[in-house]
Amino acid sequence: MGGEPRLLLLLPTRTYRTEDFVDAAHTLGVDLVCASEKPSTLEALAPDGLLTLDFGDPRDAAARVAAWTAERPLAAVVGVDDVTAAAAAAIAERLGLRASAPAAVAAARDKYQMRQCLAAGGVPVPRFRRIALSDDPVLGARGVEFPCVLKPLSLSASRGVIRANTTEQFVVAFRRIAALLGRDDVGVSGDAARYLLAEAYVPGLEVALEGLLIEGRLHVLALFDKPDPLEGPYFEETIYVTPSRLPESVQSSIAATTSAACAALGLTEGPVHAELRVNDDGPWVLEVAARSIGGLCSRTLRFGTGMTLEEIILRHALGWPIATLERERPAAGVMMIPIPRAGTLREVKGVDDAKATRHVEDVVISAHTGQELVPLPEGWQYLGFIFARADGPADVEDALRIAHGQLRFVID
Amino acid sequence: MSEAATPDLKGRVQELIDTMINPAVAGHGGFVELIDVQDNRVYLTMGGGCQGCGAADVTLKAGIERLIKEEIPEVLEVLDTTDHSQGTNPYYTAGKS
Repeated sequence: MGGEPRLLLLLPTRTYRTEDFVDAAHTLGVDLVCASEKPSTLEALAPDGLLTLDFGDPRDAAARVAAWTAERPLAAVVGVDDVTAAAAAAIAERLGLRASAPAAVAAARDKYQMRQCLAAGGVPVPRFRRIALSDDPVLGARGVEFPCVLKPLSLSASRGVIRANTTEQFVVAFRRIAALLGRDDVGVSGDAARYLLAEAYVPGLEVALEGLLIEGRLHVLALFDKPDPLEGPYFEETIYVTPSRLPESVQSSIAATTSAACAALGLTEGPVHAELRVNDDGPWVLEVAARSIGGLCSRTLRFGTGMTLEEIILRHALGWPIATLERERPAAGVMMIPIPRAGTLREVKGVDDAKATRHVEDVVISAHTGQELVPLPEGWQYLGFIFARADGPADVEDALRIAHGQLRFVID
Repeated sequence: MSEAATPDLKGRVQELIDTMINPAVAGHGGFVELIDVQDNRVYLTMGGGCQGCGAADVTLKAGIERLIKEEIPEVLEVLDTTDHSQGTNPYYTAGKS
């Protein structure tokens, strides 16, 4: 490796985001170092390129990287998801690199802390309560206004999020979330393992905002509509389409509310992914995460003459110029293919027909044959992703639905 | 027109795969096969636990490519030709955090 700036990517072994970030690093020509929470089999042979870090302990991760960098200076560090964002912030602070403050990132990672910060900052959020998992759920339901939504403090992508309309449903949801958080493979600790959040159900349309913070200013990269109703009891994310079809005034209000939320949390640098509900009372912030969009969904986004979202994120972290933050003109969208039922995936049929659908760019089946499938609210994977691009968002949405209709999943 | 590797270059890459890379990735049930070396670019496939693995790109770019380029500086790039969608036993399966 010859003098290129060294970039540290924090990549959990189970993230969908590895390929896109590694490709972006390759495109930029940086000297790439990858850290995961489990050791690579090649770490001993390539100690300049591979690291093992405990992402759950940001201070320890920062200390380890500081020691590692003694003879290998780093130009930037980037975490690719919720789990790694806190460790990346701690490392960046320790090494004087560009990132939001660790406390701000930690607040965004904990839904209770996040709501406290947002409420204190005057940002509209649903009424909320934190309830200990050791509490009697019947007593915990007292004072909760129905319908409500129960959710873990730290999981993402709607995992463990359940709507309850009655005390009976509250108790069932409470126990189901407690069981989920107790599983070894979930791996939560601290408050996230001891509490859940109960908050008012906010009716309305749901949108997702993808943004980049530069010196405290929010730049909106894309606003996605979520055309499938998300009314519970589970909140399966399916279709995202951009640009939004909401009126300009509403879009501006969403951007302003998200910007206020970032300021309330103290986030100042790097990617943010926000989820909001919009109704007659205006936008309500459900989440602001200090990371970019999850899954393979970023593949819907291209900027300028074809720059990817990951290139923008890495350029920002490196302090390199970014030619433009303007998304390309065509509408684009993605369907996260939901898991219809539990079982073992045996076969996927119709992929070629789905790919041949007008306006569909690609169909990626990310589950493998023989894989055990677990649907929401416990599940943590998608079957795959469908990508479409067209002149208008309605055509994109239609293409995604038609392509999905071509697919047949054999599960037993 | 692309230029085939000298037997010496291809042989050195193969030896590196045989003696260092494959014994390491075997720890996760994986293996690497050299397909060709053209214009100083190494083409390979990843099988077993590497095929479809969520960490395959990390293994390739931060591990295999770095190692090969350090040992054989004339190699410009290492390219993966694997169809990862056909992997049936990946060591790490990608999912939500």
